[in-house]
Amino acid sequence: MTAFSFEASPVEVRANLQASFRDTWAWVAQPGNWWRADQRVEIAAEVRNATSCSLCKERKEALSPSMVQGEHDRVGSELPAVAVDAVHRLVTDATRLSKGWLEKSNADGLSNELYIELLGVTVCVYSIDRFHWAMGLPVEPLPSPTAGEPSGYRPASAKCDVAWVPMIPADKATGEEADLWDGAKSANVIRAMSLVPDCVRQLKKLSTTMYLPMHQVPDVTAPIDKAMSRAQMELVAGRVSAMNECFY
Amino acid sequence: MLRASTQINGEDVDLTAVTKGGQVDSGVEAGGVLVGFAEAVMTGSESDVAAARETLRSRLGDAATVDAASVIANFERMVRIADGTGIPLDAPLAMITADMQKEIGTDQFPSAVNTPKLNGVHAIIGRVMARTLPLAFKFFRAVRR
Repeated sequence: MTAFSFEASPVEVRANLQASFRDTWAWVAQPGNWWRADQRVEIAAEVRNATSCSLCKERKEALSPSMVQGEHDRVGSELPAVAVDAVHRLVTDATRLSKGWLEKSNADGLSNELYIELLGVTVCVYSIDRFHWAMGLPVEPLPSPTAGEPSGYRPASAKCDVAWVPMIPADKATGEEADLWDGAKSANVIRAMSLVPDCVRQLKKLSTTMYLPMHQVPDVTAPIDKAMSRAQMELVAGRVSAMNECFY
Repeated sequence: MLRASTQINGEDVDLTAVTKGGQVDSGVEAGGVLVGFAEAVMTGSESDVAAARETLRSRLGDAATVDAASVIANFERMVRIADGTGIPLDAPLAMITADMQKEIGTDQFPSAVNTPKLNGVHAIIGRVMARTLPLAFKFFRAVRR
């Protein structure tokens, strides 16, 4: 059976959504810059597992997540515990993540490079799964990992500035990274994962089909090829962001 | 973005719909069913989501329902990138939206601490920019046409 066929959907799903979801599944199944392919697929499996994890449920109800210690329910054995913790928190309690928590995770062996790639895989898989939930469709089976080793590639220009993690400065997306954003400026949310440039590339592909091409986002006067108006899209986007208690 | 996208058409929108949800009429066409769908997807059961989806389908059609689902899923991703990396709101946006953030209450969200507080000069510049921006958008749209 072809991935993301949407045969069960009573509503026709756009072909470009289908194509970008397939592309993302192929990306998840490849070795990354810092994780092996089997570990990336295990990250994807933990994304799905997080919502039923008993530790995450207990933490979510606590006044502070640090008040509840324990072990997460997990599905595999290839990821270190600190990585499983990061995936689960990103899925279930992202608004209460902190710089202190990330620094402790760094000290426990989850480098910023490993963390950003984990974040990139986590949010892409979670987002696609949420589309299925919204449309009443069963989630797609996870892809089979391919062979190979992580490249270890790190952009030379990445450095600490305004985020918890190093990022490529807005005017330094040059050379190998020249395709990451247009022009000499970029919004922080695009730069956020630039320590692992492929995460930005995958984000751009998904955002183009699920929302708008990145260059169109700040331009509210640009014509859009959607069945909703720009105001309708922004109302939905704003409500989802607010319910997630996201200031950005 | 919601404010800007309505200002260019001279529409009056109640931005508190973003934080208060279905209790408020946003002023956006079919805003109630769109917000209802988003809320069902975020916190509802499978049957809640199905009911909200069918309401949306009957009001705006299949293509808009797919678009709404994809926008919801897209922002489930974007908020986690922002919250997971501690990025601040980009400086110009922080200046322009400071008053609005207070008005609708988003400045009370935990991740607001990642964005530095504005000094007095920046706050004034932001207010001026917020008032002139609709004119700029209207100008650019007229030029495009």
